[in-house]
Amino acid sequence: MQGKKSSSHYNRQDAVFKYLLISASLLVVGLFAALFLMLIRGSLPSILGNGLGFLTGTTWDPINGIYGALPAILTTIVTSLLAVGIAIPVALGIAIFFTEYAPVKAKFPLTVFIDLLAAIPSVIFGIWGLWIIAPLIKTYVQQPLVTSIGFIPIFGGPAYGISLSLASLILAIMVIPIIASLAIELLSRTPITLKEGMISLGATKWESVMRVGLPFARMGVIAAVMLGLGRALGETMAITMVIGNSYMWPFANPSIFAPATSITSKIASEFYEATSAIYAGSLIELALTLLIITLATNVAFRYIINKTNKEAKR
Amino acid sequence: MDNCTYEKLDISGLDAWFGDKQALKGVSLRIKPKTVTAVIGPSGCGKSTFIRCINRMHELTPGNRVSGVVLLDGVDIYKSVDSMDVRRKVGMVFQKPNPFPNMSVSDNVVAGLKLIGAASKKELEAVAEENLKAVGLWKEVENDLKKSGASLSGGQQQRLCIARALAMRPEIILMDEPTSALDPASTAKIEDLVKTLKAETTVIIITHNVQQAARISDMTAFFYLGELIEYGETRTIFESPKSPLTERYITGRFG
Amino acid sequence: MRMVSRKNKDRVARWLSLAITVLAIIPLLWIICSVVVNGISAINLEFITGVPAPYGESGGGIANAIFGTLIINAMASIFGIPVGILTGMYLSEYATKGKFSSAIRTSVESFSGVPSIIFGIFAFTIIVTNVRHYTALAAAFALGIMMIPIVAKATEESMRVVSDDMREAAIALGVPKWVRTVKIVLGVARGGVITGSLLAFARISGETAPLLFTALFSFYWPTGIDQPMATLQVLIYNFALSGYQERVLQAWGASLLLVMLVVAINIVVKIVTRQKYKEGI
Repeated sequence: MQGKKSSSHYNRQDAVFKYLLISASLLVVGLFAALFLMLIRGSLPSILGNGLGFLTGTTWDPINGIYGALPAILTTIVTSLLAVGIAIPVALGIAIFFTEYAPVKAKFPLTVFIDLLAAIPSVIFGIWGLWIIAPLIKTYVQQPLVTSIGFIPIFGGPAYGISLSLASLILAIMVIPIIASLAIELLSRTPITLKEGMISLGATKWESVMRVGLPFARMGVIAAVMLGLGRALGETMAITMVIGNSYMWPFANPSIFAPATSITSKIASEFYEATSAIYAGSLIELALTLLIITLATNVAFRYIINKTNKEAKR
Repeated sequence: MDNCTYEKLDISGLDAWFGDKQALKGVSLRIKPKTVTAVIGPSGCGKSTFIRCINRMHELTPGNRVSGVVLLDGVDIYKSVDSMDVRRKVGMVFQKPNPFPNMSVSDNVVAGLKLIGAASKKELEAVAEENLKAVGLWKEVENDLKKSGASLSGGQQQRLCIARALAMRPEIILMDEPTSALDPASTAKIEDLVKTLKAETTVIIITHNVQQAARISDMTAFFYLGELIEYGETRTIFESPKSPLTERYITGRFG
Repeated sequence: MRMVSRKNKDRVARWLSLAITVLAIIPLLWIICSVVVNGISAINLEFITGVPAPYGESGGGIANAIFGTLIINAMASIFGIPVGILTGMYLSEYATKGKFSSAIRTSVESFSGVPSIIFGIFAFTIIVTNVRHYTALAAAFALGIMMIPIVAKATEESMRVVSDDMREAAIALGVPKWVRTVKIVLGVARGGVITGSLLAFARISGETAPLLFTALFSFYWPTGIDQPMATLQVLIYNFALSGYQERVLQAWGASLLLVMLVVAINIVVKIVTRQKYKEGI
């Protein structure tokens, strides 16, 4: 029954299959290379036309052909750092509650919650931030602060609602589940023997987290921050809808209540209108800048994760 | 047995390496058809490597090498036969039962044929029934043929794996300590099964249990540090071993 | 005395971490409530079956956008899922320690960190500028690329945890490597691959930025996959920012549908994987 087909027949099938897998994999590598090349090619008019002034200029005036990207780059970096700064304590709190204090029965609902929050589309965060949160923030947070401590420039008025700070807040909510789930994974990896050692010495759970868990996961937590940062830097829709798309911040108005423009919101709102080669090129160069920044955080993230994985194996 | 003159398996000068480490040194032996050969020896003596050279599985790990001559029915399996064909002629049963969990009980039995599309559905059903009967599993699973192969008990899984090897109508079945993960009752069933298998095929079985070797085998091969120390009829080996090493091992005075 | 203060610290940590967790749950519930409360009043028969009314007119629906999202997702899946599975199979079963394999691994991992809007620009520069009009195909291309790393990773990881016993069993039966890879290893790992593909589908269902300069938007039923096409995501964005009360309400209605789609897929995945944990596989 068997062996009717010659083995060379199967060897040929094996070879064809292997080439199929290799070509799919090559396609992935090729797409990644093409992504880079197309962005570089697309930004050429801007790189040649705007020169280095593109990265340091503070004015964006397509009518007069002036393209300075600094406010957008700063906004992207500052909103992301603020967001991650808000998100870290919350995410660590969730992770510590989950690994140390949560009853077993609560763990599954908690993972559902974390995964659902991560799954909500960003355009939904956008519409929610714009129509529900912005008016509330404006009335109950920004206006009181502006009237009380508005003399400090970064808290200066007027209160718009949509602003740099609102964008950071929405972004923070979006990156909390990302940081929390990685932190949970890393804290759960703390060797049981170490933990039990601490507990048997009479340490409380809190002390065991602080002395063993967190130090053990320290690098991992930094990696989680990188991951969150990567996500925040590239986020588009929610930001575009709540940041106000004004080039005021930080040079014309340094207040965190001022509307601003991030790299992504600039691209999202102007790409259609970019009819001239240099205008489109400038937006694509913005995208290229963003790609380089996010890839750098991604590389840092993977470097740290690989290092902690190796340490965990030891 | 005695009147059979030709050899099922004729191995001469077999060497095997893991990278730079030599695991088998110049092993030569001949195995007659329709016999049970027990391979014994302390762990790390090369018994697993030895049987994995017979179905060409040793060479799968990068860096591993084999040299020497292995003749199956007079044909050199390293020179004249494709490795896949060798493995279809030489079946293998592993230490840990390893039925495919994504397949039903009956599909597990015929996996080797079905996966390469070598038989029709009707033929496969017949093959499944025949081989489940051969391993004494048919009555136990008759009504659960569509259940996952992983749903059976450990002993049943191992008999399923033997049925899976048998379904290929192999010339030789290699067994790598097939009862070491099983309870005594399941072990007894497998031992009885091995004795009946030699009516159809040739069995080479590794065991770390010398009593088991004495119970079920016709011939016994004792390995030590990669070398074949002694090979002969089981009764002879157990009653009057030539080598003091063999004697120490089978009387249990070995480190 | 000291013991008491340490116990207290532990108690504070317990309650504080609980409070933070509860605090973090609030936004999720708030978003879901807002979407349900605002969205439900927008949903009626015309909303589900009609196309958007021209500017200045009232009424209209979002059926073309629902259809567009599903069509574009389907096209993206046809491209992204097979490439992802093949790449994952390569990484799990065929990859060596060489440069080629590490280039693939790096590409897959880097792709998952690329901001979604960049895929939109990539598809724009490679397709839209060449055919000289916006097209749903470019959107499917961008979203398909986004699925690849998710599916590839899920495939690789779930195939890797398949025990080598399975591979050896297949090898010992004389089965060709491709059959072993597809029918045994992938077969045993199929749960993880399906889960990964579903999650990738859910993920692209919510992506908006890659659609902005590719599928664009349309007030009409699509006339072909090479034409601009309305999607729920872009409709929410456009209508939420339109300033017209009725349009904003329709954006909420579309949001409700989109959230239901994404949440439903995630819950199905959760339930399926939870059962697997229970069975201990």
